[in-house]
Amino acid sequence: MTVLAPTDPSREGQTMTDTAPDASAPRAPRRGRPGSRRPSRLRISQVVSRVLIVCVLILQVYPFLWLLQTSLRDRQDFAASNPFSIPTELTLENFARALEQGSLLRNILNSLIITGGACALLVVCGMAGAYAIQVLGFRGSNLVHGLFLLGIVVPVQVALVPLFIDYSRIGLLDTYVAVMIPLAGFALPMAMFLFLSFFSYIPRELYEAASIDGAGPYRIFFRITMPMSLNTVVTVVMVNAIFIWNDFIFANTFILSDELKTIPLGLQNYIGAMGNTDWTATFAAVSITVTPLLLVFLVLNRAMIYGLESGASKG
Amino acid sequence: MLPHRSRTSVVLFLAPPLLLFGGGVLLPIVQSLFLSFFQWDGIFPMEFVGLENYRRLLFGDDIFWTAFGNQLLYLVICLVLQVGGGLLVASLLLTITKGREVFKVLYLMPAVISTPAIALLFQRIYGGDGLINTMLSAVGLDALARPWLSDVSTVLAAVSIPEGWRFLGLYTVILYAALLAVPREQEEAAALDGANAWTVFTKIRFPHIMPVFITTMIMATTYALRGFDIPFLLTNGGPGQASELVTTYMYKTAFTSGHYGYASAISVFIVVECLVAVGLILFSLRRKDA
Repeated sequence: MTVLAPTDPSREGQTMTDTAPDASAPRAPRRGRPGSRRPSRLRISQVVSRVLIVCVLILQVYPFLWLLQTSLRDRQDFAASNPFSIPTELTLENFARALEQGSLLRNILNSLIITGGACALLVVCGMAGAYAIQVLGFRGSNLVHGLFLLGIVVPVQVALVPLFIDYSRIGLLDTYVAVMIPLAGFALPMAMFLFLSFFSYIPRELYEAASIDGAGPYRIFFRITMPMSLNTVVTVVMVNAIFIWNDFIFANTFILSDELKTIPLGLQNYIGAMGNTDWTATFAAVSITVTPLLLVFLVLNRAMIYGLESGASKG
Repeated sequence: MLPHRSRTSVVLFLAPPLLLFGGGVLLPIVQSLFLSFFQWDGIFPMEFVGLENYRRLLFGDDIFWTAFGNQLLYLVICLVLQVGGGLLVASLLLTITKGREVFKVLYLMPAVISTPAIALLFQRIYGGDGLINTMLSAVGLDALARPWLSDVSTVLAAVSIPEGWRFLGLYTVILYAALLAVPREQEEAAALDGANAWTVFTKIRFPHIMPVFITTMIMATTYALRGFDIPFLLTNGGPGQASELVTTYMYKTAFTSGHYGYASAISVFIVVECLVAVGLILFSLRRKDA
């Protein structure tokens, strides 16, 4: 087993699968009953699948670790030695440079405003629409429902040119609202769908009782439906906030001035000129923008995973 | 239906979502369709040209067909990595008992990262002294090392893989949830009858998750057909047209060249392409299912 190189997962996997049958051989003698070979074969497949699981884990996570490591690395050290080796000393200097050169804080603020605005718009519209369709009910509600479902398959590119023209006509080009509208609009079908499926679980009797007590549609919405759907709101916001926060195509099309640029647009500046000259500061900038979202995700992932699963299995 | 609802209350609740969806999604679709019949550069008056834009697109534009071919390969790579890979990884997760939730969360991590950050990362991975070339020379395969993003033969795969990689975890999570819902008794009964893991998968698990599989196929296909960010950021379609997609071509036609009418025709094509793909998936998979 001394040949094992702990840093090379693929080789580790191979050696382990090669040695596994030998290791289990003493326990399951070859000349035993035919059935006795079964457990050892199972064990091999389990080892193989575990190794594969770890390999995928490395593929999915290593790029970040490398990103973080590079952002903490001394600039000269990074340039001089192998960029993928383990750094000898760590420094926070790159973060200072990243914050100095770009307008990162401004970008973060803009992203917060746009994400907050679009999510608020999305939640209000999604909840109101689902309430009208599911709880109030009206003639033609199936038609409206179908119209919204259509929005799930429509690609966002189709809206770019017309919205660009419309915005420049009414003076909305290069504003926060210009980005919020299509972002919330294209996310609305899915959000409304999650609200619809949740509202269908609220027992009818609850509404009927409230109606008998004299509550109208507004009171019922604000006193019963809205407080009960808090969990769904969290799910809707979690699933969509990530996509809205990371939006590139709408922001890149509708935002022109530097003061309004969001994080993805700010990072884009690094891809060309600055990225090639100062990689460690670039990676520090990427780390600054990635870490908060990642932390939120790691804390609230249950809501997001639930939203993704239910969205796909019921859709 | 609530007994005390009024017409005004329905209108009041329905107005905000309809306004948002109408203004942000439906109206632009109609406008795109309208614009696609005109020649317009945004400055001079619009000129009605009928179906000329579509004629030129389908019969007189080599770049468009190159881009379409590239988009199909991009689609195949995304589907293999996302749905194929997701199915494989989800099945693997079923074989372990501890830590499934942790793996799910960690696999999802790349989906949280914005595309410019991913582009920056992969620019470094594909670069001349990047991760791939470093690893190749470490195992003595220097001959295979190359600048992956400027080599015409590798650039398309190089811009497709990050997109596939990014959402592998997403499809893993969705397919894993579906696989968990497969009744255990059926699997165990089949295993007792001597069925191996592959037979259990093809005869019991896969048919059982078919509805979710169709949904993930539709999701992955429509996302790949509108894929834009990473190729746009990494190569902007280059070198030449080697990694041009229909989406990047449309974007450049509109916002670099200013041919709004022609770009609208391309965007209508993207919508039709998505609808046809969804139709094909439903047609082929549902029929096999029945």
